[in-house]
Amino acid sequence: MTVQTTETASAVEFAGVTKSYGAVRAVDGLDLRLVRGTSVALLGPNGAGKSTTIGMLLGLLQPDSGTVTLLGTTPEQAVRAGRVGAMPQSGRLIGRVTVRELLGFVRLAYAKKTKAVGRAAAVPALGELMEAARITELAGRKADQLSGGQAQRVRFAIAMAGAPDLVVLDEPTTGLDIEARRELWTVVRGYADRGGTVLFSTHYLEEADDHADRIVVIDRGRVVADGTSDDIKRRVPGRTVSFDLAGPAPSLEVLPGVVSSEVGGGRARLHTTDSDATVLALAEAGCIRNLEVAGARLEEAFLTLTHAGTARAEIRAEGGAR
Amino acid sequence: MIVHYIRLEMVRLLRDPGYLVMSLISPLTMYLVFNSLDLTGDSGHGGAVYSMVGMAGFGAIGAVMGSGVAIAEDKPIGWIRQLRLLPLRPLEVVVGRALCAMVVTLPPILSVCLAGALVNGVSLGIGQWAAVLALLWVGIAPIAALAIGLGYLLTGQQAQMAGLVCYMGLSLLGGLWVPISKFPGWLEHLATATPINRYGELSWRVTDGDAPSLTGVLVLAAWAALFAAVAVYGYRRSARSA
Repeated sequence: MTVQTTETASAVEFAGVTKSYGAVRAVDGLDLRLVRGTSVALLGPNGAGKSTTIGMLLGLLQPDSGTVTLLGTTPEQAVRAGRVGAMPQSGRLIGRVTVRELLGFVRLAYAKKTKAVGRAAAVPALGELMEAARITELAGRKADQLSGGQAQRVRFAIAMAGAPDLVVLDEPTTGLDIEARRELWTVVRGYADRGGTVLFSTHYLEEADDHADRIVVIDRGRVVADGTSDDIKRRVPGRTVSFDLAGPAPSLEVLPGVVSSEVGGGRARLHTTDSDATVLALAEAGCIRNLEVAGARLEEAFLTLTHAGTARAEIRAEGGAR
Repeated sequence: MIVHYIRLEMVRLLRDPGYLVMSLISPLTMYLVFNSLDLTGDSGHGGAVYSMVGMAGFGAIGAVMGSGVAIAEDKPIGWIRQLRLLPLRPLEVVVGRALCAMVVTLPPILSVCLAGALVNGVSLGIGQWAAVLALLWVGIAPIAALAIGLGYLLTGQQAQMAGLVCYMGLSLLGGLWVPISKFPGWLEHLATATPINRYGELSWRVTDGDAPSLTGVLVLAAWAALFAAVAVYGYRRSARSA
């Protein structure tokens, strides 16, 4: 661990964090460090431990062992100081108040705290905040009478109301239709583009791909892959190239792009991240009998990664981690 | 900031006026009925004063218990968790919510006292009226803390059950319906340790022309500290699950 830069540059740091519910180990020795000023996706299937990780990050849950450091301090202190904004999973908005009243209250809570602790970041004006979250036209509406997409944008506005150093979004798009999703991401991107640090969890690879500088794939409470979207995709076989074998199998795994291979029934099946290069190399070697290239959906590729991840030991990319 | 939190919760409350109306129907009805039943064994002015304080207090307990249920119902929608993620101190939130719960006690307290003066001929000096009203309101604080603590710790349905048990049980045991002097000795002794008996005693002593007793105030303060600690613990815990 680099001692001198940790305090300033790291937004989040998990060191050997474990959390169990009864016999189920939700988070299993998690080590993770996030740098400020980036957008990071916590990607994993349902039950991978994403929400438990976020719960501990926000100080809502206590780890069984290991330490969680948030903005150089404990999660609870960082939250109390108004340095974190959060959009927890599956929350709804309260009734009998308008969006303006609710957001005004939240904003004021941050503004008072920011002033009290003398933090530099200026809490945006209410109008600005609503503008940024694209909810200006909802200001007078009752908060519990919004559509799913509108409610999520209001909840995002709550998360960013205090101009926090870190915004944490736990599966922000779950249950939203494509249009609502797109609108929410526009707003989140706007925030990230202004220099905000965003950590979001999702089980859609596509969302992580589109909106994160760095993707941390977790499965069964452990990090199984970590890197930029390109790093991850390079390690995720997107296509399968198959052909009839004539004679003994050549050394297939050294072919360009090939991640893994299977041989059976006189046919070889190559899982590749770069089918063009693989096919070219095969052509040069003269192995093109009954050649077939099939695409794997991104989601399937992602499943391969998470479920085979434990067996395929080293798919860890160092790229975004340092 | 606590002021702004109270304002937000009060706005939510006042836009649901049915709740406020409900909070005064039962104590008001019971006061008018109980007074004619002569449970105090004093059919004169003393009895009317005693049951006026008792029923106002009874209404106040019912009102704060309702606030506990409202809190329990805020949990599944994630509002308590959202509050926990704002830069607010837990004590601030809990005290704010307790004060909101206390505001709801005003309709039953005021209406029962009004009925006492107008219907049952209770006559007290101006100073006594002011003291009784103030003590009935301020003295409910420990029970307000208990109610919201139950709200943070329990589900809506459980809070409703617990609220009902406290509403009826504490009122009866505390002597709000029948003076504890009519209880068997051991029960009378036990009753004096309960917060509700000491709560009623504050006002009964004033209507008898005395000042509240130090012991009574200390017992109430001890309960207040205990229930406030429970409420803060409940608030911090409740954010975990939902």
